Amino acid sequence: MLYTIKILLNQPTRLLLTVIGISLCMILMLFLFGIYKGVADGSVEYIKENKVDLWILQRNSTNILRGTSILSAYQKERIKKNENVLEASPVLLLLTTVKNSDKRSTIFLAGYDPVTGLGGPPKIIKGRTIYADNEIVLDNSFALNNGFDVGDNLVILDDTLKVTGLSSGTNAFVIQYAFTTLTEAQSLLGFPGIVTCYLVKVKNSKDVIKTSKELQSLIGGSAVYNHKDFLANNIKEMESGFLPILYAVASLGAIVLTTVLSLILSINILERKKDFAVMKILGAPSGFLPQLIVQQAVFITLISGLMSVLIYFPLVSLIEKLSPEVSTITTPFQIIIVLSVGLVMGMLASVIALSRLRKIYPLEVFYER
Amino acid sequence: MKDEVEIVVALRNVSKSYKINEHSSVGVRDINFEAKPGELVLFLGPSGSGKTTLLTLIAGLLKPSKGNISLFEKQIETYSNVVLQRLRAERIGFIFQTFLLIDALTSLQNIELVLRFASRSKREAKHIVGKLLRELQIEYLADKLPLTMSQGEKQRVAVARAIANNAELILADEPTASLDATNGSIIIDLLHSYAKKKNKCVIVVSHDLRLKEYADRIIYLEDGRIVN
Repeated sequence: MLYTIKILLNQPTRLLLTVIGISLCMILMLFLFGIYKGVADGSVEYIKENKVDLWILQRNSTNILRGTSILSAYQKERIKKNENVLEASPVLLLLTTVKNSDKRSTIFLAGYDPVTGLGGPPKIIKGRTIYADNEIVLDNSFALNNGFDVGDNLVILDDTLKVTGLSSGTNAFVIQYAFTTLTEAQSLLGFPGIVTCYLVKVKNSKDVIKTSKELQSLIGGSAVYNHKDFLANNIKEMESGFLPILYAVASLGAIVLTTVLSLILSINILERKKDFAVMKILGAPSGFLPQLIVQQAVFITLISGLMSVLIYFPLVSLIEKLSPEVSTITTPFQIIIVLSVGLVMGMLASVIALSRLRKIYPLEVFYER
Repeated sequence: MKDEVEIVVALRNVSKSYKINEHSSVGVRDINFEAKPGELVLFLGPSGSGKTTLLTLIAGLLKPSKGNISLFEKQIETYSNVVLQRLRAERIGFIFQTFLLIDALTSLQNIELVLRFASRSKREAKHIVGKLLRELQIEYLADKLPLTMSQGEKQRVAVARAIANNAELILADEPTASLDATNGSIIIDLLHSYAKKKNKCVIVVSHDLRLKEYADRIIYLEDGRIVN
């Protein structure tokens, strides 16, 4: 390892540039995983935190992220008549535009019943929840990005709503949630007779399956999901739209990492060609030189990994400050995954570079004066 | 592996020709000679006379087109590549015209490296290098990098590297060509005393006529042939 480090430190500027390059690739991968986790959690946090037993949607709608569900708003009492139902609450979800001065921004507005609280914001981090029709709770990052704060007024269509609170866990990256009363949402939509879904709590958790079947036959054209299945449906939907992009960009990062590293290792071999040829003449064991290259790759990858972790967190907090809608969650597991991928790619890069080593002929040193 | 041998290297009717652009060019032809322990053999000849080809043939880095080479009393073609590598690490020392020390390593580490190639432990290697540097009076160079050393100093470190493993055969390719007269005689003195005091075989190829007085035997090469 001493020779590996010595050889690398012999060109400190190049080593630094290489480490920066590899670190950036790793930061990109960490960032993508962080974004993914942030979006994944943000997208389904609303569903996760609304701990109800059953979700009733229109038949053929499996999720609320990328699906349309229209149900009659007058089913609440029928649902509540079921002997096992403890509470039933309708929610209307709609994409709408908020006007702030000349700026227009889209939100995913959830209209819910503030009395039951079902379908409301998962966590209020500033201010309070809504009590009246002309009130709204905004996602914190949406508010930051659009210059809204608690107490401000905003305009949706012709209605002016007062921001009473800011929520977290409601940022789905491409869209952010906002919360108002069901009546207000229905009025904004212009169809007071419809809702998106019903959230149902049952009296006894043992009766969930039975109640689900009963409600499905009670409300024609509906689909009833238990909480676990509905959450899984939404996660699956979110992943199907996001994961391919994530994999594509993460793969590009890994390819760039491998290319940069194999290029640098190849250049190192070419520059140290004479040294390697001399070592071959002096009787270096057959595994010594390949080991030297692999060690260089491992050393560079580990240093880069360390550097990427050190840079990543301050960088991400800066990005989140500049673009509040960017919400990342980074776990130790993700860091381990990225470092492992980096290490594997580093090894691959060294294998690619090793082909250069085979082209070094010891005799050359005798004829190069 | 290190058995005492009476003949370190022997060449019988050795020729080496190269193919360059479908034309055959002769490196050496019909070379016959042998070298024993305690001898300093000097091959003298102008450039292009085949001196370096001869040296690389002896080291097993090239295969002869014709003839036989015996190294440490065994036909060189009977050695596998791995054995040849071990022979070069343990029993043969090399000295080059341009020194060819590893720039990134200090003198001490350059010498230690060949000892590690010969499977010496780190501790043993350190001990040998320390002793060797004292013997050659170059302890002050131990922690210096090649780039900070003079030509003469570099070649003394290169000699130390060549003899560190107590090599039975030293192959020196123009060892004084890059040195002034004073440093040149220091180097050839070192090689001469190594041959005599340690009873080792030193083969020097050079065009430097100043080396003649140190040689036990001088063999003249011209156009790849011995012309004594």
